[in-house]
This record gives sequence, C-alpha cells and structure tokens, in this order.
Amino acid sequence: MIVLGIETSCDETAVAIVEDDLVRSNLITAQIDVHSRFGGVVPELASREHLRAINRAIAQSTEHALISMRDIEAIAVTIGPGLIGALLVGVAAAKSLAMVLDVPLIGVNHLEGHVESAFIDRKDLAPPVIALIVSGGHTMIAEMPEHGRFDILGQTIDDAAGEAFDKIARFLGLPFPGGPEIDRLARKGNANAVRFPRAMMGDDSFDFSLSGLKTAVIRWIRERQAAGEDFDPADVAASFQEAVVDVQVAKTLRAAEERGRKTIILAGGVAANSRLRERMSEEAAERGIDVVVPPPRLCTDNGAMIAAAGLRRLARGESTSLDVAPDANLSLA
Amino acid sequence: MLVLGIETSTNVSSVALGSEQGIVASTSLSRGKGHAEFLIPAVKFLCEESEVALSQLAGIAVGVGPGLFTGMRVGVATAKTIAQALGVPLVGIASLDLLAFEIRYTPKLICACIDARRGEVFCAFYRQVPGGVQRVSDYVAWPPQRLAAEIEARVEEVLFIGNGALLYKERLPKLRTEYAAFSRAFPQASALVELALPRFFREETDSLYELEPLYIRKADAQIAWEERGVVIQRPGRVKTRKREGER
Ligand SMILES: [Zn+2]
Repeated sequence: MIVLGIETSCDETAVAIVEDDLVRSNLITAQIDVHSRFGGVVPELASREHLRAINRAIAQSTEHALISMRDIEAIAVTIGPGLIGALLVGVAAAKSLAMVLDVPLIGVNHLEGHVESAFIDRKDLAPPVIALIVSGGHTMIAEMPEHGRFDILGQTIDDAAGEAFDKIARFLGLPFPGGPEIDRLARKGNANAVRFPRAMMGDDSFDFSLSGLKTAVIRWIRERQAAGEDFDPADVAASFQEAVVDVQVAKTLRAAEERGRKTIILAGGVAANSRLRERMSEEAAERGIDVVVPPPRLCTDNGAMIAAAGLRRLARGESTSLDVAPDANLSLA
Repeated sequence: MLVLGIETSTNVSSVALGSEQGIVASTSLSRGKGHAEFLIPAVKFLCEESEVALSQLAGIAVGVGPGLFTGMRVGVATAKTIAQALGVPLVGIASLDLLAFEIRYTPKLICACIDARRGEVFCAFYRQVPGGVQRVSDYVAWPPQRLAAEIEARVEEVLFIGNGALLYKERLPKLRTEYAAFSRAFPQASALVELALPRFFREETDSLYELEPLYIRKADAQIAWEERGVVIQRPGRVKTRKREGER
C-alpha cells in the first residue's frame, strides 16, 4: 500500500511516500533561514512558507519515489497539534489530493507520528512501549499499549525542551535552532561545572517544568557578567543540558519500570541530542530496557512518520472525513 | 471549457463551476463551517449534483485576495493542489477585481473595498472599460479615514462595493457616493469563473509553484523587526499557543 504523508504543523514543509514498511521518499523543506533572525518560529511566516513549498514538495516526493500520482492509495496528514495556520495549508492540500485521486484521507496526530516513526522498518519492534517525545513544541512521556492507543503519563507544565534549548542558545550567542548548537558546544564543556536545579525531579509525577531551569541559567550568566567573572560557555551549555537530560532520563525510566515496559522510544527533534541518547541508552541497559531512537531524518518533523501512522490507522479500517478541520491543541489521548 | 472557481478571501467560502456557456453550479457559505471544512465537500457536492466528473475540469481559478490571510491560504492551497493532481492550468485573480467586475456597468469611479480587520480596509479603484473594468490604483490596506480623504480629494461620483465600505459607511463621505447592495458585499466564485475563462483561453495562466496570495500586509514579526529591531518571542508550548488570529 502506497501512502503519501504531509506534515506542516510547525516550520518544516514535509512530504513523504511510504510503501508498507519502506520509505520511498522523505522530503523536508526547512524554514530555518526565515525564522532564524527572530530566534524562534514566527507563525505567520511559517504559514506563508508552507504555502510556497507544499506543491513542489508533493511533486518531488513522487518523483523521488519513482511513482506517479495515480499510484498513491491513501493520503495521511497531520491535523494537530501545531500552529493552526501552518496545519491548514497541509490539510487543504491533503484533502484536495484525496478528493482528486479518490483515495482515503487519514488525519494523524503529530505526536503519534513521532512515536510511529520508531516502527518504520522495524518488524522486530512491537508495543507496548513507553515514549519520550521531546521537540521544539513538546515534552511528554506517553505509554502506547498498542498501536493507536496512548496514555499520557506526563508532560511539561511550561516550556518544551526545544524552546528551552533555543532560549539558552540565544543567551550564549548561538544561532537558531539552539538544540544542535548546545549539543555541540556541551561536548567541549564540563557537565558538572554548575549545579543547575532539576525541577520536579523528586516528585512522583511524570510532568516536567523547564522555565525555572531556564531562568536559573540566565540568572547565573548575568551574575557572572555583572561581577566581571569569566566563564566558559561550553561549561554552561553542558551543565544546562545535563540538568535537562537528568530529569528526562530519570522520569522515562521510572515510567517504564512502573508500567513494566521493556522498550523506550525516544522521539521528536530533541531525541537527536547526543547526551540524551547516550545517557538513556546506558541507564536503560542497566535495567534491561531497550531504547529505540529513529534515525535523524525520522526524528525531526517529517512526512514519513505521518504516512506510517496513517498506514496503521488505515489497516485498522479508519479514515477521516473530507470536512475535517485541523486542531491546534489536538490531544494524543 | 469547464472551470472550477474557489474564492475564500473573506468570511464567505464560495465555490462555482462554469464554462463559456455560463455558470453550471455555485454555492457559498458565510457562517458555521470554516473554509477548511467546507471547501472540498462543497466542490464534491457541486460536481455530483451537476454530474460533472472532476476529470472534466479543464482549469482551476482562485481568488488571491487581498483578504484574510488564513482564508486566502486555504483557498490557494486547495486550488493549487487540485490543479496539480488533475494536471490542469491554474489562474489566480485578485478578489477585489471580482467585486468591481460585478458592477462594471457604471460610469462612476468604482471602489472595491473589503474589511481587512484591525480598523482597516483592503481597497482598490476601477473604471469601466469595454467588456469589463480596469484597475486604476494599487491594492492598498487603509484605515477608513485615509480612504475618506482620498474620495474627498477626487471630487467625483463613487460607487462603493464590498463589506468594508458597508462597515465604515458612516465614516466615508456622504456626498457623491453610493453603495452596492449587501447581496454583493463579498467576492463570489461565479464572477471569478467568468473573469478567469478568458485568461485560460489566452493561456495567461499562473505557475503552480509561484502563485501567491496578495498579502499586501507583512507579517507582524517582520514589521516589528524592520521598524524597531524587535524580536517577537517564539510562541509558548502548544497548549497555550494562541490560535493565529485572522487578519
Ligand atoms: Zn514534532
């Protein structure tokens, strides 16, 4: 079965062709240049860029997959959560394709897409799993007892991990997006140089809070600057990153143990963080838990994960009506 | 030649199907379902009821605003992708032109004027020419007092059309002005099809990859950046993200 997947929930215009378990094409048009000077994603500009890019992305996705549009058997599209104006462009395009090609439309939750990205080309892998979804817009621990069913165990009560990375990166004079920059700089620094707070580390919830940490890091830098003291930005980056990773690893492992699950999926753009992958893998291994991290092209927002999630839903006999509207706050569970 | 027209630059979603023989079917909606929900089911409905197969469509026309950003984008994305999937040409026409075209029989100066929200209107001026109208100004986003001053300065008879003119009637000059009925207050896809047909025949079509809405206004963040060097912060986590306002 050949599915075309469209993802436009934030700042990547992404279209992919997935045939059963095979990603035949996976096009991602990033908008970093448009948003970088603002230090974050500007919704109106993102929507404009999606509209500019979407039809070329559709054309290229079929070209790269060596198929014609008539070969497409279903259209999957992100219907939320995300920026409403951005979602609307992808949904409008997806509905148009589904109508003209006369194939089913499947609306997909963006977060479900991230989790399903781990199952692409992994026939050995099956639910139940615990997923840590970390990205510019999300920080969440969810349990997936079976495909398509989710229990949200915890999520951030303020900032998403990616947002915190962007903010601290800006403070350290690093370019947008901040995640990869902090990761790179932190490798040269001492993670124990500064002991930043680990919010909600001790409580028994699976929720996160990152705004206190963000404030603590910024205050620490300002105090050093005011006192005229030198500090190594690499140490700050490493210590900040360590505080984020500590909490995420501890909570995810505790979720897996409490629920008796043996597989953890690390998904979302921040799953590409090398320290998070390293620490999670090491500490999970000590407990006999497997950690699965999709390859980078499937971690960042992409159409293949949406197509893959759509395929699962279609296989269960689900499809979406052509009058569906996207939902900026669509819940996973 | 059968053409599908899609016009969504205002609150009204409007879809029409027509050829050089006339309008085959049309429908429009101004409350309840939004453009994104209404558009595709409306196209399907028109085609089914008029017994037109999508494969019979030879061109897609779309109103490109100026108007509400989100509405324009839904219309343009839909029109482009239908054209792409069918492999047929695409024509984009300014939505204000549609309004002026509807009252082309007047010797007066025509002002097409729609509500741009935020206390402004999108407007343009037109004059009658054989077979239609010709635009004699730029498309602009003006507060009503600016439009009023422009009208005063022109000292001639003006015929207004569009919901923007009706909304700000009290603030526009009373002398030498007249207003088209509110049944014509919004751009309609039937006029779009009629205006687009000659463009298809002349093969003056638009590129699938280059056609854009007429935004006229820049994004707020861009304006802030260019004028004051102010950076607008990244929106909060998704839960607290405000819906992007129509503008
Ligand atoms: Zn994402």
